[in-house]
Amino acid sequence: MRVPGGTKHSRRRRKVLAQSKGFKGKRRNCYRIAKQSVIKAFLHQYQARRLRKRDMRRLWTMRVGAAARSHGLSYSKLMGGLRRADVRVNRKMLADLAVHDPQAFEELAAVARESLEV
Amino acid sequence: MQKTYMAKKEDAGATFAREWYVVDATDQPLGRLASKLATVLQGKHKPTYTPHFDVGDYVVVINADRVKLTGKKWDQKVYYRHSGYIGHLKEIPYRTLRARHPALPVRLAVRRMLPKNKLGRRMLRKLKIYSGPDHPHQAQTPQPLEL
Repeated sequence: MRVPGGTKHSRRRRKVLAQSKGFKGKRRNCYRIAKQSVIKAFLHQYQARRLRKRDMRRLWTMRVGAAARSHGLSYSKLMGGLRRADVRVNRKMLADLAVHDPQAFEELAAVARESLEV
Repeated sequence: MQKTYMAKKEDAGATFAREWYVVDATDQPLGRLASKLATVLQGKHKPTYTPHFDVGDYVVVINADRVKLTGKKWDQKVYYRHSGYIGHLKEIPYRTLRARHPALPVRLAVRRMLPKNKLGRRMLRKLKIYSGPDHPHQAQTPQPLEL
């Protein structure tokens, strides 16, 4: 026997089409194609949430490196120096200090330089 | 969680400034000069560097026709470009290009080191290249850039 699924059927479709809002061309309104792109979009979202963490760490590294260079240290020298001095400020906070509190960063750079000289 | 700083248009002059620099290209090796210029144009030398935003400085290059080429590049360096049509790969030896446009080698070298997108093209607009020792940007009081 055929099971007529009127409301169920259209609800299921509407759920997918609601998620394909803002897509381009048929990807927005054509159910078959929209369904595929929605699946793909979720996959990309999932990957992007993980990639973001790596991207941000790379950005902090670049910023800390740029700031270190303005104090006459390379990135690796700075990090090595801080490690030796047992300063446990992470890259994110170092990058933040470099932007918002250059003085604090300068002091940290001085600490790193001192610990390298010993 | 605290948000990482991202440069915005409104922050220009506040958290980051767009400086003006001047560089004398006389006897500077072309590629080394260009990589330094590309860094400054992109703002990668600043702690406020933001990949999707232009925080770079302006750079005025003077004596751009007097850059140095190391090795045999003076005779051997060739610029290639392809028109898209079969058999239309154009070759221009460095010597010819320089004779036609004395300052172009510097511009090309930097352009190829910048990101190949809209932002990169905007960054390139901050690079002002002149073949003589003079430039019309005195009003911006550019500071000498150490290489």
